[in-house]
Amino acid sequence: MRAPGPTPTARPVIRARNVTMAYGDLVVLRGIDLDVHRGEVFALLGPNGAGKTTTVEILEGFRQRSAGEVRVLGTDPERGGDAWRGRIGLVLQSWRDHRRWRVAELLTHFATYYPDPRDPAELLALVGLTDQAGRQVDRLSGGQRRRLDVALGIVGRPELLFLDEPTTGFDPEARREFHVLVERLAREEGVTVLLTTHDLVEAERLADRIAMLVGGRIRVCGTPSDLARRAAAQTEVRWTAGDGTAHRERTKDPSRLVWQLHRDAEGPIADLEVRRPTLEDTYLHMVHRADDGTDQAAPAVRGGHR
Amino acid sequence: MTDKVDAVDTADVAGMNDAPGGTAEPRRPTRPYWRAGLLRGGIELRHLLRNPKEMSGQLTNVVVALLIAAYVSGEVPGTDTPMAHLVLAGFAAYLLFQIGLISLPQMLVTEREEGALLRLRATPGGIPAYLIAKCLLVVVMAVGSLGLLVAATALLVDGPLPGGPGDWLTLLWVTTLGLLAVVPLGAALGAVLPNPREALALIMLPTMGLLFTSGAVFPITSLPVLVQQAAAVFPLKWMAQGLRSALLPDSARAAEAAGSWELPMVALVLTAWAVIGFLLAIPLLRRAARRESGSRLTARHRKAVRSGAVLA
Repeated sequence: MRAPGPTPTARPVIRARNVTMAYGDLVVLRGIDLDVHRGEVFALLGPNGAGKTTTVEILEGFRQRSAGEVRVLGTDPERGGDAWRGRIGLVLQSWRDHRRWRVAELLTHFATYYPDPRDPAELLALVGLTDQAGRQVDRLSGGQRRRLDVALGIVGRPELLFLDEPTTGFDPEARREFHVLVERLAREEGVTVLLTTHDLVEAERLADRIAMLVGGRIRVCGTPSDLARRAAAQTEVRWTAGDGTAHRERTKDPSRLVWQLHRDAEGPIADLEVRRPTLEDTYLHMVHRADDGTDQAAPAVRGGHR
Repeated sequence: MTDKVDAVDTADVAGMNDAPGGTAEPRRPTRPYWRAGLLRGGIELRHLLRNPKEMSGQLTNVVVALLIAAYVSGEVPGTDTPMAHLVLAGFAAYLLFQIGLISLPQMLVTEREEGALLRLRATPGGIPAYLIAKCLLVVVMAVGSLGLLVAATALLVDGPLPGGPGDWLTLLWVTTLGLLAVVPLGAALGAVLPNPREALALIMLPTMGLLFTSGAVFPITSLPVLVQQAAAVFPLKWMAQGLRSALLPDSARAAEAAGSWELPMVALVLTAWAVIGFLLAIPLLRRAARRESGSRLTARHRKAVRSGAVLA
């Protein structure tokens, strides 16, 4: 992970202000604020129905927002023309198109739409499909198909890549390979990535920043560790005392507690274990807080926009 | 955004500072769609020719035509034209009709459902290229099947052929105008029909009904007047009549309802359908493309999986 620091010179790749979306009485988004910066991997996390898909489709220019202001690569997505489209890549989870085409044929064809495409052969090597180049698309496995979708998504050298639940249905190895690929794109080529996922481990592994969308609002937004720190879930410390009894204690300051324990015991502590809250703890906490109806108390999340 | 968030913004990637996200000007010129469209049409055509299922469908048409020609005997009443020729001319018209109103909507609905349309929408110049490719595909399919049908029946069973340059010219313009009448209409259907499975069921019945009421397969004068009038609203009757005028000798006019080929009327009705088709197709296709999005694709996919039509 790169060193964090403010970047006053560059304007954000994605900038959304107070975006709302309502279908009649049904309010899906209740004022979304987002800034995604160049070269960043940004994960949008949230339960089903939280408004993830709607948010992403507004950013992709596939859906008209009810209100609010959006700029993606400096352009309002609702008015994005071909030149704008050419700077954006898309990987969706439901694509099953072009089944009769051969892998290399399809990639080479889509390269012709872009002014400065990647070399299809190099791209196949990058996504690990060189051996499948001559294969018909509908004979690919699920993981191979998704990697082909990624290749198609980046063939035009996009500055911004949308990944929609990219690893759904992947086996662990395919998932790991996919993560390496996304990391390479972001770290080595400076592609900005907006990822939506259910997979907390994936978000934690890939994302520079994570936003959690619950009930049409962004509850929290920050780095994975930032999120964990901010969650009410506290670090758990477990140990076995001198008399053999197991102890566990929750604390905001595990270092102090452990130091205290060592001083008291004047030596090593048996079975000492410090468990930081995982992203999952944070996530569940957020979702539950929304369910409780105590969601008004989320000042750290929103606000601050002019 | 919150101050907190800004504080953890990532550092700018080296070399990217000169192209901040805020440039609204199109940095890259867009390429003409034509090259991509024609390339795409060529590739789709190759896939069609390589697909045994599609090819056997086209060959079945020719075999059916040959069987018709072999089994239908006698003359068109009041003329010395073989009845088989009238049926073959009608069958040729039906082939064109079917390419525009069955094959094309099926292709469109399938590609919409699978996400090809969405992918092209997300690609610069993708939708125009798609339309160009489909036009190329339909024209080649139509000319190919018509040519195959006429050539095979002429060679093997003494089928009808245009009698002179004038008849060839008629064949050309009726085919062109006939395609213009049905292709936009088929595109409009492809834009609104729900999914490939239901689409076929919805189109098949009316198409078969028109086949039997338009005088394509037997003389129209043998049908009740009311049925004749109803069928005369639709393009198939006029396509068949136009092709008969090109493929049959002038003496066969006697069997027509009006006692003539009514070529101006053929041109008028087909042009009217072409105009209606374009007026319907353009907004409907635009709407279909605009409505495509990942979530709709997912919803349709789930529905298809639930109904057992496709594997997950």
